[in-house]
Amino acid sequence: MEDLESILNRHAFLADLKPEHVKLIVGCAKNLRFRPGEFLAREGQKEACMYLIRRGTVAIETHAPNGEPICIETLMPGDVLGISWVTPAKAHFDCRARDTVIAFSLDHDCLQRKMSEDPALGFAITSRLLDNTYQRLSRLRLQQLDVYR
Amino acid sequence: MSIGEAIRHAPNAYVPVPVRIGHTARDIDGVFTWVLEPSEPFAFAPGQFNMLYAHGVGEVPISISGDPNDSSSLHHTIRVVGSVTQALGALEVGHEVGVRGPFGSAWPLAEASGQDVLFVAGGLGLAPLRPAILSVLARRNEFGQVIIIYGARSPADILFRNELERWRGRFDITLEATVDHSGTDWYGPVGVVTRLVAEADIDPEYCLAMLCGPEIMMRFTARELEQRGLDASQIWVSLERSMKCAVGLCGHCQLGGTFVCKDGPVYRYDRVASMLLVRGL
Repeated sequence: MEDLESILNRHAFLADLKPEHVKLIVGCAKNLRFRPGEFLAREGQKEACMYLIRRGTVAIETHAPNGEPICIETLMPGDVLGISWVTPAKAHFDCRARDTVIAFSLDHDCLQRKMSEDPALGFAITSRLLDNTYQRLSRLRLQQLDVYR
Repeated sequence: MSIGEAIRHAPNAYVPVPVRIGHTARDIDGVFTWVLEPSEPFAFAPGQFNMLYAHGVGEVPISISGDPNDSSSLHHTIRVVGSVTQALGALEVGHEVGVRGPFGSAWPLAEASGQDVLFVAGGLGLAPLRPAILSVLARRNEFGQVIIIYGARSPADILFRNELERWRGRFDITLEATVDHSGTDWYGPVGVVTRLVAEADIDPEYCLAMLCGPEIMMRFTARELEQRGLDASQIWVSLERSMKCAVGLCGHCQLGGTFVCKDGPVYRYDRVASMLLVRGL
């Protein structure tokens, strides 16, 4: 049976992370399963951990008064969820499992401590988060253009 | 036949031929598809367009969206955006419309043979790609993987939805559709097509991509494909500019040193990529 470290190592977000860094963060990680409809994060709440999605789809949603939830984007395996922990901000959106979702959770207090203790790990994780955030920002900018109208 | 006779018998590219509307169907809000019944077989290559003339109102270029293997009917999918398309939309079955064409360049199906084929369509851009998709499906064993990625504004704006669902049910192609936003009635991905392009299972060395949709979408998609390892010469795009004469004379659709009506609308991306970055061109 594969251990958590080797599975964690295969996630796209952690690709090419040095083995000693994977060893460091494995202590912050849990393998979790969410049922369809279950929330991984709720609007207005502080995110206690970051999720690395392994399987399933997560909908980032908001809602209007008396309206149905509006899905802004879906996240897929390989994606990262819960990046607001790097800022003092609370979650801006609801994140709901559309189907059965399997994800690693990385406890943010634990991760932050290890990133402070090992600046090389801190840089590696921060670079990945920045790249991921930039990709998402680019996609949302294109989406905002409403090009199909 | 002598050259003189050939010229006399050749159809006049400037004269619209009256063609009867055989069937009309509303696809999505503001978009309808006509099945025209030409009196003679009408041959065209996937990617080409016709000039459709609303009598007394004007003429517009509209891509052919039907099956190139069926020369007995002519399909056009039209979005109502101005006075001419509004006049066309008011016509009914049995009415006649003026048709000039077909004009323009075609999707590179011969070049795609033996390779993986990736179609990326956005919004109404599925209509000009449909003849190419139908051609590939008709000769499915000549191609490697066939992947279709389609993006629309919302689930209600998905063009040819029944056909997309039918294609998605096939075992020999991959089809993914995404929408920019949705409610709870949509179970597919939400986000832009570039996201699905990034995930597509393609072999960059043996892949030919055909893109059709809003130009911004095509630029972003081409960039994503280049990041995936495709060369710009493996990417083809269909462009739109203001086309009037359709034979490369009036100059309305000039794009750099080319005329979109004559040298396009289908271009190899490396031949136009730099021009697409020029503002106002």
